[in-house]
Amino acid sequence: MSDRTASSLPLKDPLAPQGPSAFERWWLKSGFVNLLRISGLTVFLAAWEISSRLGYLDPLFASSPSLIIEKLFDMIRDGSIWPHVAASANIAGIGFALSVIVGVPMGLLMGRSLTIRATLEPFVTALNAAPQVAFLPLLIIWLGIGISSKVALVFLGSFIIMVVNTEAGVSQVDRKLIETARSFMANERQIMMKIVLPSALPYIIAGMRLAVGRTLVMVVVAEIYAATKGLGYLIFQAGGLYDTAQVFVGVVVLAAAGVILNAFLRWLEKKLAPWQHVQGS
Amino acid sequence: MIEVSNVSHGYPGRDGTTFFRALSDVNLTIESGTFVSFLGPSGCGKTTLLRIINGLVIPTGGEIRIDGKKVTGPAPDRAMVFQEFNLLPWRTTRANVEFPLECQGVPSAERTKTANRALTQVGLDRFGDFFPHQLSGGMKQRVGLARALAVGPSYLFMDEPFGALDPQIREVMQVELMKLWDNDRKTVVFVTHSVDEAVFLSDRIIMFGTSPGRIIADLKIDLPRPRWQDDEAIKTSPQFVQYRNDIWKMLKQQLHQMPAA
Repeated sequence: MSDRTASSLPLKDPLAPQGPSAFERWWLKSGFVNLLRISGLTVFLAAWEISSRLGYLDPLFASSPSLIIEKLFDMIRDGSIWPHVAASANIAGIGFALSVIVGVPMGLLMGRSLTIRATLEPFVTALNAAPQVAFLPLLIIWLGIGISSKVALVFLGSFIIMVVNTEAGVSQVDRKLIETARSFMANERQIMMKIVLPSALPYIIAGMRLAVGRTLVMVVVAEIYAATKGLGYLIFQAGGLYDTAQVFVGVVVLAAAGVILNAFLRWLEKKLAPWQHVQGS
Repeated sequence: MIEVSNVSHGYPGRDGTTFFRALSDVNLTIESGTFVSFLGPSGCGKTTLLRIINGLVIPTGGEIRIDGKKVTGPAPDRAMVFQEFNLLPWRTTRANVEFPLECQGVPSAERTKTANRALTQVGLDRFGDFFPHQLSGGMKQRVGLARALAVGPSYLFMDEPFGALDPQIREVMQVELMKLWDNDRKTVVFVTHSVDEAVFLSDRIIMFGTSPGRIIADLKIDLPRPRWQDDEAIKTSPQFVQYRNDIWKMLKQQLHQMPAA
């Protein structure tokens, strides 16, 4: 009874605060939220499927999850989906890359130089406020019905987001850090590359997340007109033929691309800017 | 040697009709190798004068000469330590210390060596790979100090460097600053509004008054050095207490003259 070695002590200190267990912490932090997400989606898909099968919904108009999945697998099996995916990915990729390559430097310069900002601001404001889709007829007249006009539309829609977000990021840069750099003899180029760009990086990545969404919209719109392939073409072609399952296949592929790219950019943001996280939409 | 001749500085007020005079006709000579404090209430222009001396602000009147050369901007032989530390949050401690060397085009290998040496000087040699948000306030300001020391400056300007720290940490930092300073006795200009801090550190205290900012007293502090070996003995010595009381008396007179006080 008098054995009071460490091994004989009770496993739990009775005076220790009774915090939540590991399971409780996991459950409160992510388990509960994830359960709601999954169950919400499951109930929705199940209700859709059942109403379609019981005849409450006309499959011709509303399709059904099983019909969409069947169609998707068919198109993957016979390979007919890939040319469309490739064509859209090509336009989206080039257009998005150009948006970042042009938009970020432009936003940085506008944020740092009053002269450049004052000169370009009317154009940026006007283009940002206008529905850029309205430029498509002009772009087709100028650039033809090939890939160029489609890339141009994607660029027009997305680069403006990059400019606006980058400029907002630059305006958030801590003035004290710029003064510190100046006191250590940094020149304007060093201030831009070593202070302004890293400070604005979270905003730039948040801008890229928004631009991904805009890019996908613009790809679909551009492919409605004068296209012979692409997911936009696939969707509108199918819509004309009342092939609702195929319309949904296009939508699902686009949504999946959007979700994956967004997740990637969130990961990149945490990787590159762990000291702050901009709440973006 | 730093020569401040007839320096005045001001800027238009917020409403655009008034002109705020931050500094009025300041004349001052600071000998090399001395530790000088600027002491005064908030808004007396002491920080503005420090920034003017460093070249970050060009005064609206008068001029500064350092070693005979007119100051027109920051220079590599001067370094500043800031109240808010102003570390770059995306850089490690070591990369923060390397920053000024990068700006001055020092090759990479030499940069790392110099940065490590500076970090050792401030006792942070094991924290080179930490990010600022992982450090305490005192450690952050050690990084700020290491960054300033890394450029090997002849002039060290410190703008209320310990103002954002806990009182205990603040005293520790004062003692360590004295220890570092004794190695090479650079010219230091130290802005503070702590009387005790100014007396403990300085060879000379320049006291500032407000509206407009101007020098109201120039005191020599004749306490024995080194002061870091037994700081408690210094702080409780009759001389120290006398200095502190005299300065407080002058500061209180200043406060009575201020319209809002």
